Order: sequence, then C-alpha cells, then structure tokens
Amino acid sequence: MSDIHIDGLTKQFDDVTAVDDISLDIDSGEFLVFVGPSGCGKSTTLRMIAGLESITSGELRIGERRVNELAPKERSIAMVFQNYALYPHMTGAENMKFGMKSVSDYTDDEIDERVREAAEILDIPELLERKPKELSGGERQRVAIGRAIVREPDVFLLDEPLSNLDAKLRVQMRAELLQLHREIDATTLYVTHDQTEAMTLGDRVAVLNDGQIEQVDPPQVLYDYPATRFVAEFIGSPAMNVVPIELHGDGDGVSARHEAFDLPLPDAGDLAGHSGGASLGVRPEDVSLARNVDGERWTFEAEVSVTEPLGESLLLHCLIGDDEIHVKAEARSEINAGDVIELGVDEERLHVFDESGDAIYHSSPRERTAEDVETRAEH
Amino acid sequence: MPEFTKPYESRWQAFLLLLPTFAVLIAFLYYPGVETFRLSLQQTILLGTRKTFVGLDNYVSLFTSSAYHWSFAISVAFAAVVVIGTLAASLFVAYLLFQVDVGSSTYLIAAIWPYALPTAVAASVLLFLLHPSLGIITFVLESLTGTSLEWFTNGPQAFAIVALVAIWKQLGYNIIFMVAALNNIPETLTESAKLDGVGHLKMLYRVYVPLMSPTLVFLVVMNTIYAFFQTFPLVDLMTSGGPNEATNLLIFKLYRDAFEFSNLGLASAESVVLFAIVAILMYVQLRLSESYTTYA
Repeated sequence: MSDIHIDGLTKQFDDVTAVDDISLDIDSGEFLVFVGPSGCGKSTTLRMIAGLESITSGELRIGERRVNELAPKERSIAMVFQNYALYPHMTGAENMKFGMKSVSDYTDDEIDERVREAAEILDIPELLERKPKELSGGERQRVAIGRAIVREPDVFLLDEPLSNLDAKLRVQMRAELLQLHREIDATTLYVTHDQTEAMTLGDRVAVLNDGQIEQVDPPQVLYDYPATRFVAEFIGSPAMNVVPIELHGDGDGVSARHEAFDLPLPDAGDLAGHSGGASLGVRPEDVSLARNVDGERWTFEAEVSVTEPLGESLLLHCLIGDDEIHVKAEARSEINAGDVIELGVDEERLHVFDESGDAIYHSSPRERTAEDVETRAEH
Repeated sequence: MPEFTKPYESRWQAFLLLLPTFAVLIAFLYYPGVETFRLSLQQTILLGTRKTFVGLDNYVSLFTSSAYHWSFAISVAFAAVVVIGTLAASLFVAYLLFQVDVGSSTYLIAAIWPYALPTAVAASVLLFLLHPSLGIITFVLESLTGTSLEWFTNGPQAFAIVALVAIWKQLGYNIIFMVAALNNIPETLTESAKLDGVGHLKMLYRVYVPLMSPTLVFLVVMNTIYAFFQTFPLVDLMTSGGPNEATNLLIFKLYRDAFEFSNLGLASAESVVLFAIVAILMYVQLRLSESYTTYA
C-alpha cells in the first residue's frame, strides 16, 4: 500500500498536449477513479503512472520514492487492461505465474500458494487449467485481475477493465471489484469513460477534460456541487440542463433571467456584483410539474416536444424559449408532445456557472468538512 | 443486410471465368508434370528424339547410384542448414526491427532489400565479393580470423558459402512475415510483460515465438521448398556443383543429367523423386507442427 503524489504531470505527444499539468494526491488504500470523455488524457495519465509512457514534465511519487525514471517493474504496480492482455497460449494459472516467475525472489511453492489464494478470492479455482479462448469475457477479466493481485502490488491500475463486458456482467463485476478492493486494500486507480462506473466505484472521482482535472471529489459531492459546467453536464444521466441566463440584482436579491422565466435565486448575495452572461444549471429530476410543487412556489411554462418513457420515469424534452430542457416526470403521466405544461424547480438545487464555465453559485451551500478546508488550504 | 450477389450468372459463365487460370495450370504445370512422369519411365537418346520404354529402370539406377545417395545427403543437410539458419537469423533481425522505435521503416527496407534482387544477380555479385583471391569480404574475413578461404577448391567451405548466400538471400522474405506476425501480437501483452519485468529473451521464446507459430510453420515450409528448388542459380553460378561434388544438390544434379549428359529419362526420374521428397517433408512438417501451433 502506498500513497501517490502527482505534481504538475504533463505529457506531450508531438504537438498535442495529452495531459496538461495535473496535480493530485491519492491516499494510501484509496479507490480513485479517473473519468472523462475519449481523449481527455485519463488513460495517458494512468499509463504514465504505470511507466508505459514517459513523463514529459512534472513529478510522480509513489510512497516516498520519485518514480519518474523507474522502469515499470520497479514501481510495485500491477495493471489490468481493457482487452485483458492474457497470453492466449497459456492456461489461467500459467498466465498468473508468468510475471511472478520473472520477479525471481519467489519460490515455486510460494507462487503456487499465491495463485491458489488469488483464485479463491476471485472464485475461479476451476478456471486455472483452461486457456483464455475457453473462457468467457468475465472469466478472462477475472484471470487478468488474478494475475494482478498475485503480485501483491502497492498500487493497482485498471484501464477500463469492464468496457468489453456486456451490461449485466458489468454491474456484477463492479460490485465484485468493490468487494475485492475492500479485501486487498491496495491503492487503486481506475480509468473509465462511464460516469456510472465512476460514481459507484470511487472513494473519490477525478473528472478530466482536455488533459486537465476539472474536479476531484467524492461521488455525491461531485453530483451535488459540480465545480464546472463540464462536470455538471458530464456526471449524471440524463445530463444536467444548462440554459443561458442574465443575472439581475436588485434590493430584494438576485434573479436569473431567461426569455421564458425570471427565477429568484435564494441566498445569492455573492452574485449581486456579477454582471453579464451566465448559465443556470438544474438537473432533470429537480424540475417537476407545477402541481407537485408547494402552493406558493415560483413556476414557468414550457412546451413538450418529445416524451421518452424510461420505465421508472417519463423523460420530457421541453422547449423554453429557444432552449430545450429535460424534465423527469412520474412514469405513466398523461403528457404528450405538444402539451404546454407548468413547471417548477427545486430551489435548493440550482447552480450558476459563469462564462468560463466555473460554478459561481450553488443554491444550497456546500458544507465544508474539515478535510475540505484542509485541501482548500493546500491550494 | 447487403444482398449477396453472385459474381457470375450461370455455370457456363463461372467456367469461362476460371478457364484462363486452368489453362495456364494445365499447360505449364499438370501437363509437364504428367509428361515428366511418363519420360521417367523411358530411356532417351539424342535429346529425347528416340525413346524406349524401360519401366522402373531409371528409378532403380538412381537408388543404387552412390553419386545420387551423396547428392541426396548433401541436399538434406543443405536444406536443414538453410531452413534453420534462415529462421534463426530472420527471427533475430525481425525482433530487433520490432523493438526499434526510431527509423524502423528504414531498417525494414534495408533488411528486406536482398530479397528484391534476382537470385542470379545476387549470385554473380556475391561471387565477386566472396571470391577467394579477389573478394573484399573474403579479405576482411581472412584478416579477422587468420584463416584462408579457399572455397573454390575446399568442399566443406564451398558448401558453407553457398548455404550462407542462400540464407542471406532468403532473409528478407522471412523478415517481412515475421515483422508482420510480431506486429499482430496485441501491444498490451508486451506492456503487461513490461510491468512484470519479463526479459526480452524470455519474452521472445515464451510469448512471441508461440504466438507467431502459425507464421513460423508457413516459413519452415516455404524455406524448405526454397532450399530444395530455388537455390539452383546459386549453385550454377558460384560452384557448378563442385568442388568435388560438395555442392551438387539434387536440383543441380538433375539439371546436369538432363542437359549436360542428355539423359532426359533419368533426370525426369530425379525430378519425380525430388518432388516426392519435398511433398513428404511438407506433410511431415505440417503434421508435426499441428500440436505445437497456437492459432489464437
């Protein structure tokens, strides 16, 4: 087990900056997920930590050691790949042993013992004598994970390990990975493009975009208090509604003005001085039909353009002025395309982003934990 | 789903489309093959103008001729040296090419260039480069090792020189296939091994060679055919089978029996035997390799 310190990590490929000055501290035993769209630099970051890509600039420390120049095998890491990377001509057990035998300080008995233990943890003793082509996708990934854990690495790197599995298996493996993490307790870095995986697995989630970290926080904080518009729209499905507004302050407070509404923002004193364009963010589940909102609350009208029954809810695409917003209504609501409906919002769940995309307001203030204060002080 | 359309409209049209291929095969392969077999059962005089049927006499005289036994033995030895030597040298070069990051295509072109040279041209050029008294390579080798190369008169040396040239000539062909096979191996396997700290040599024989095995089997077969049939110009131009029969390979011997000693019947019998030897070898190679080959 080791903590990881990333300081100003940068990766330059010819004229493309894949990873741009990332700094991050990962605690010992933490499960940290890197999430972001394709090409955001999440895999490159992981590969730099693994030592498979050289580091253009910045410093990487695992534990107390600077590892920038160390070969992968000297970093005490193990990695699981998206395509499993199993040797097709070796059985499951041989695959797990092959790397161990290269690290020469284990005796054959020790290796056998560890393979047996790993197989038991992963519930795959019967797969050990089979070759990869006789295994299903999920079984292959289990063997690949087994190969990683027999080495008892300090750091465990997983690069989209579930992306090649079907949806049902993915959910199952997700739960198993969490359980495995609790059992082996190694510092784990996990790369995925799937925000559901990120939310369910991570102690903390780092959202990357264009080679930079947008926000690192526990999943619920990320969801409730997105630091940027990008995070707000990337995390959550369906995505958060973000519409352009003008902030307008007077003696009574600040309101968000849009051609279709003029919404008073509670406790928005800080925004009084802000002039010019901004955007208002509100999640689909925080917009509801007016009849479900308390009597005196503020409401506005919208025209329904499309309805999508999701089963547990009905997703409405509504037009307000020129902008479209998504609204989650109760399943089996009698609403059809073309209807004009009255909507209200949960006033405690509003977000405002400035023109550069930074969050400048959350209607319920983020409670600052001791840890938060500490991390803020560092920056 | 795209509709499956036949590229032809009737059986006749299909037959017509195949006809050119069959015509060439029949005219230049099957008919000469049958003729060769027929000729091998005959005694010919005066370049085949007079023929008499002699049954298996030609075969009997081959199997009882010590010159033929010798030629058979050195041909098999030659093939073994060329096949193993080519594979080993090509694997070494291909692995280096696979691992190099900078300028790999330049190295690749340099490595496969000899293959683009016609065998006869290569043989003539190397004849001078390796000439016992004039050759520049000979000069360097002799000054480095302190031995003297006299392969115009020394049998074993001549055998070694021709084998070396045959290997050199065949490198490019093998390297192309091996580099392609290596590049087909998923990169994550290499990366995974890097994380484990697996050494280059261990990686080569424990991972790459097993995964390349289908290509290697193919190359063993192709190199065997090459060693038995396509080395004729090398022997013809460099040693003419000598000195003292040391490089008188089956393919060269049958040419001499046919066109120098005008014994077409006997040469045809040699052709048939050579064909049978290579066919049997290929069958054995393919059967043996089946159990070792990994088709991922």
